[in-house]
Amino acid sequence: MTSILALHHVGVRFGDHMALVDVDVAIGPGERVALVGPSGAGKTTFLRLADRSVTPTSGTVATFGADRVPTGAADARAACRRVGTVHQHLHLVGPLRVVHNVNAGHLGRWTRRRALWSLVRPREVDAARAALDRLGIADKLGERTDRLSGGEQQRVALARLLVQDPELVLADEPVASLDPARAEEVMDLLCDVVAGRTRTLVVSLHDFDLARRRCDRLIGLRAGRVVFDAPAADVTDAMGHALYRIDR
Amino acid sequence: MSRADALTTLTDREAGGAPDRDRGTGARRPWGIRRARTWSVLLLFAVLWSLWDAGVGRRALVNPGGWELQRRFWAAAVHPDLSSSFVSTIGHDARTTIAFAVLGTALSVLIGLAGAVMISETWWRSRRPDRRDVRRRAGWLASRGLWSVPRGIHEAVWGLYLVNVLGRDPLVGILAIAIPFGAITAKVYAEILDETAGDAYDALRAAGAGRTSALAYGVLPAALPDLVSYAFYRFECSIRSAVILGMIGAGGIGFRLSLSFQALAYREMWTAIYALVIISAVADWWGSRLRRRGTARRVRRSALLGLALVAASIAHLRPDFGRLVSSSTRALVVELVERSWWPTAPRDGWWGLVERAVDTFQMSLLALVFASAIAIAIAFVAARGGRTPIRRAASLVARTVLVFTRAVPPPVWALLVLFVMYPGPLPGAVALGIYNFGILGRLCAEVIENLDDRSGRALAALGAPTVAVFAYATLPQTAPRMAAYALYRWEVALRETVIVGVVGAGGLGRLLEQQRAAFDYSGMLATVIALLLLSGVVDLISTAMRRTLR
Repeated sequence: MTSILALHHVGVRFGDHMALVDVDVAIGPGERVALVGPSGAGKTTFLRLADRSVTPTSGTVATFGADRVPTGAADARAACRRVGTVHQHLHLVGPLRVVHNVNAGHLGRWTRRRALWSLVRPREVDAARAALDRLGIADKLGERTDRLSGGEQQRVALARLLVQDPELVLADEPVASLDPARAEEVMDLLCDVVAGRTRTLVVSLHDFDLARRRCDRLIGLRAGRVVFDAPAADVTDAMGHALYRIDR
Repeated sequence: MSRADALTTLTDREAGGAPDRDRGTGARRPWGIRRARTWSVLLLFAVLWSLWDAGVGRRALVNPGGWELQRRFWAAAVHPDLSSSFVSTIGHDARTTIAFAVLGTALSVLIGLAGAVMISETWWRSRRPDRRDVRRRAGWLASRGLWSVPRGIHEAVWGLYLVNVLGRDPLVGILAIAIPFGAITAKVYAEILDETAGDAYDALRAAGAGRTSALAYGVLPAALPDLVSYAFYRFECSIRSAVILGMIGAGGIGFRLSLSFQALAYREMWTAIYALVIISAVADWWGSRLRRRGTARRVRRSALLGLALVAASIAHLRPDFGRLVSSSTRALVVELVERSWWPTAPRDGWWGLVERAVDTFQMSLLALVFASAIAIAIAFVAARGGRTPIRRAASLVARTVLVFTRAVPPPVWALLVLFVMYPGPLPGAVALGIYNFGILGRLCAEVIENLDDRSGRALAALGAPTVAVFAYATLPQTAPRMAAYALYRWEVALRETVIVGVVGAGGLGRLLEQQRAAFDYSGMLATVIALLLLSGVVDLISTAMRRTLR
């Protein structure tokens, strides 16, 4: 089976600090993987390796079965659009209308002219509306994004991801600033609507129980090392306690 | 995030509140977009009407004979007059200009501090905040209204009046800067005081402290860095003002510039222009360094240096402070008031005044549209933070152009434009546009530098080409703010039409100059009132338009 994301003995060093040490992980298509662990364990670095914004100090990172690093600009662009990212702070453009923020998911594919012209006369409105409809806010299509509530903006960000249609979805603490009920709701949307059964999802989470309920597989990170890598059903409370233990 | 003491923040305070100040979350205004569109359509028609009135497409505007003079002027740029006698003359003139700016700023800070207290809400707030005191509210509104008059009148107009009562004395130049700038400073300082006054002030008041001592103990120490930072920003503006006042007779580099221009001594002009660029660049650099990296120690050192400059400037200009209170001055004031009152129409009647006012309005509108179009475009080049060496070099070039255009005073731009264009409001608009482009471009570049562009990086990460990132993230996030500054600058540009009017570009400024030459004081008063009313109208339009940008 080809893997979507494979890390072979990867180490990442920032100055004197080892962010990741000898990480060896392969993630297959359709898997839902949660990265868990205390603050500073290397969860964000792991995700940034996946979208190639960090290069490993040692070892290799392969996405979509090819460990070849994309060479040309067009190649790099093609690799970019297969990976979609959910940011904790959403990174939407407030003054633009919702339809343009959703359509921004197309930007990795569209030509320059098409992208610019769409700002004047929105293209592929039906696709945008369909995506918003699946998230339950189709009526917001023509509104200014910064006039929406926080929850609605979260849905706009997810709709952009639906339109982008990536094969690998990365999410860095998507629910860190939400209360438990809203966190549950956002995870629902992220897992069922956006990831579905076909896309691969790698999500970093603070909430250990949420991770066990929503994901198939948990990778526990601590001080840059993989402490455990197991199916969600096999992860016990004791493993969680050991992971978050505070050394004195 | 924009820093609390950035240039943009200072301008927000002058304009009365940030354009994108949070109005509370979840407030939906679907008609907000449509209203902004209505304004854009109105603006478009106003611009077309102004262009038509100015004669675009109807008659010859460009005077082809002037290109030779224009060419000779620019060719002299590489051969400034560097003879030792002229350089030492310019050095002396430079000291005069700087001294005017220093003393004007110092006095405007004093006026500003006094005025700030008078117009701050904190001062007029009752000890018990739950009770609305009608008398105090009326007092606050009255003093606010009173303080808005001096800032509606341009420094040059103050200069024309002051020279009548004070005669030829450096006091004229100093006060012409200090009075309008003092009123602007008062407005900004009041806003700073109100922002800073919090629980500490209320606690002192509740414990029985008087208003002055509560301000001195509870507000002033915390507000001091902001107050000093704004004073230095005012100094940057004062330099430009001192040059303009110099051109109309106060002396210094401005005066030298107009003398050289009259003699068509282009090489001398360029020496003066280069001196201005250097002075203005150093003042801007000093101020922005203080805002960006102003530690307490640096602020204190700059303040001490400022005080030393004040002492040196007094020694250089030797203003006769006695004239302020002398009996002859008092008699001249009385005479001026008597001769001005009651306002009378210009020679061609009240309708002529209205026509001049329309000309002035059109001139300011065209100037601003022209200035903001190129300022916003070049701001993206000028913004610091380019990653490639080519981008950084382009940014440096763009910044130099901006410094240059704002260092050369508008009357010089007007005279240069008048070489190649037939007189009328259009050359005035072009000249004001070039000057405001320099000021606005710097402001817009800072908007871009302060943009926290995580959204843009997120788009780049999903493979969007650079142009698309610009169109989908950078532009929509910065354009509303830049448009807001352009609209605020329109208010300022309207007042500045006076100074290009004086050199013959038309409008109310031209009329004012003619009336002054004819000693028609009652006519001047009518013109000044017309200017104040017009500036009030533009303020209202600009504020309403800025509100739709939020």
